[in-house]
Amino acid sequence: MPPTTDMTLPQRLWSWGCSLKLAIYVASLATLLIMGGSLTMHKHPQLFGPMDDMLMADWLAGAWQQAPQRVWWIPASALCLVIFAINTLCCLIDWLLKIGSRWRKTGEYLIHTGFILLVIAYGWNSFAGFRSGPHRLFPGERLELRPMPGYAIQLEEFTAELSDTGRPLDMINRLSLWRDEAPIKEREVRINQPLTHGGLVVLATSFGRSLTGFTFHLPGRGLLDLAPGSRLELDDGGSLTVLALLPNVRRTSADQVQPIGDQLGNPALQLRLQRADGSSWQGWYLLREPPPRELRAVNLHLRPMEPRFRDYSLLTINRDPGSGLAAAGALCMTFGVLLAFVSFYAKRARGDRPEV
Amino acid sequence: MKTLLYLLFALYLCSVAGYLLRLVWNRPWLARLALGLVMSGVALQTGLLGWRWWQAGYLPVTNLFSTLFFFSWALALIYLYFELRYKIGATGLFVMLLNLVLLGGALPREAQISPLIPSLDTPLFTLHILFSFTGYAFFAMAFSIGVLYLVQSRLQTRHLPDKLLLRRINEESIFLGFGLFTLCMIAGSYWAYVAWGYWFSWNIKSVWSCLVWIFYAGMCHAKFVRRWQGGVYAWLSIAGFAVVLFTYLGIGLLLESNHPLE
Ligand code: HEM
Repeated sequence: MPPTTDMTLPQRLWSWGCSLKLAIYVASLATLLIMGGSLTMHKHPQLFGPMDDMLMADWLAGAWQQAPQRVWWIPASALCLVIFAINTLCCLIDWLLKIGSRWRKTGEYLIHTGFILLVIAYGWNSFAGFRSGPHRLFPGERLELRPMPGYAIQLEEFTAELSDTGRPLDMINRLSLWRDEAPIKEREVRINQPLTHGGLVVLATSFGRSLTGFTFHLPGRGLLDLAPGSRLELDDGGSLTVLALLPNVRRTSADQVQPIGDQLGNPALQLRLQRADGSSWQGWYLLREPPPRELRAVNLHLRPMEPRFRDYSLLTINRDPGSGLAAAGALCMTFGVLLAFVSFYAKRARGDRPEV
Repeated sequence: MKTLLYLLFALYLCSVAGYLLRLVWNRPWLARLALGLVMSGVALQTGLLGWRWWQAGYLPVTNLFSTLFFFSWALALIYLYFELRYKIGATGLFVMLLNLVLLGGALPREAQISPLIPSLDTPLFTLHILFSFTGYAFFAMAFSIGVLYLVQSRLQTRHLPDKLLLRRINEESIFLGFGLFTLCMIAGSYWAYVAWGYWFSWNIKSVWSCLVWIFYAGMCHAKFVRRWQGGVYAWLSIAGFAVVLFTYLGIGLLLESNHPLE
């Protein structure tokens, strides 16, 4: 019923709350605001780009400081949508109060309920939970979830599935979720198959390979694998220890070695040579150059043959405390739509139309 | 494949010619012939779609050719539903003309089926696309009926159904389209959740899909506003379809998006 002058204030407020016209106006306003805003989004990707990587409240706080004139439409349209949701809730309550005679509209009102649940769920997740990653994990490695004290993720095994042409097909992560040092869940996480647990979601985002060592040929000894930590005992009682391995370096003017990236380019080993006479040498062997003089002097003509790699997985870890509510909303809407499809024709046959 | 596609185009083109001739030459058999051609076209297109689906092992709707082809199939099917249910006769001229535009847009493009990229290899993708384009097709139907409503308001011709029937069909198309599009959004949100870890993404295509959804949710209610029934509603159906076209084609052609179907 539309608001009239002879109504009391609460009655007028209620009738405004249930007004379909109000719904149409706020929904239209939100639509126009978002339409305009989406063009701003397109023009300023550096400002809007990280929106999906963080919580809405965190992103908005930062973006507001940078450029309030470009982001004001987001809180404004959020306000419209909240009014719209309250409006929808009033309509829903109004229907519930008259359910005895209006039960045939259950489908429509399940859609309305779903929408309200989704707005609450989105609002909740804009302020609570977290988004993080991608996190780099090697098989066997564990990652403590700092925003969730006591929880950790362990990557038990990882296999990258590739096609014959080397195209990535899938990323198979056997992951376990730990709470207070005890595993509580294990799951094979692949593309489109995350590990979920009470709002926590762990996804396989990508993978990569990290250089772990090199295979060398040493005359008289054949092939040997060297990686950081390896120790090679020499015939004369001395030893050679690998201290570090860098995939890509350059020499500085002071004859120092400087790392310049994670991709294999100009790899270098940091070595310590313990000679039999007790003296020692420590320095870098840049594998694209001949072995250092000190190594050659003790007959260590190490020749690099091939790099050795180890796959790692890149995982995204998010927590959306409202995801259960959102799922309930989606379910309500799905059933609502199916029911409304049926009842639409029944309503038509009865010539049923609400008053506006 | 291309030959069959041209045959399909010819069937729809002849049906449009049939509807056109029926306007100038009042022979009932012409309408029956046009309808028969539409039916044959739909049968052929269904067969082609099924064959491509079987060949690919997934619903092939991953590029512009295949989405236009699917869109056109859904629109033709929906037209048949309304024609058989309400006998809307000459409206077929406009709807099938629109269908020819869609199919004509698909014809010059590459029809080859490429291997599915792994992230699309999920039933959620199939549902998302299925509901999205059937929803769009109902919105296209509502657009056509909206245009014809305005034409009928001016011409009052006996060739078109009366305004009340056109209004009812328009409302029905919007309602069914909205329901299907709701299911599309739900499948898409669930897919986003399992693929990215959040169910609403701020990429421009998702934002505009939400706008389409809100717009048509609004339209489901606008029909209850007495002053808007009929004319305003017809204009809204036209405006809504412009939003659909921008979301479907405009974003891909004019802007960039990181939506998986870009
Ligand atoms: C995004 C939010 C909303 C969605 C998705 C939605 C969806 C729907 C749908 C699909 C219908 C069925 C239309 C038909 O029968 O053809 C409907 C009907 C209706 N809605 Fe909404 N709606 C929303 C918000 C609202 C709001 C805010 C109000 C109240 C002001 C409202 C009040 C109604 C009423 C009164 C009906 C008619 C039900 C009947 O037939 O008695 N809706 N809505």
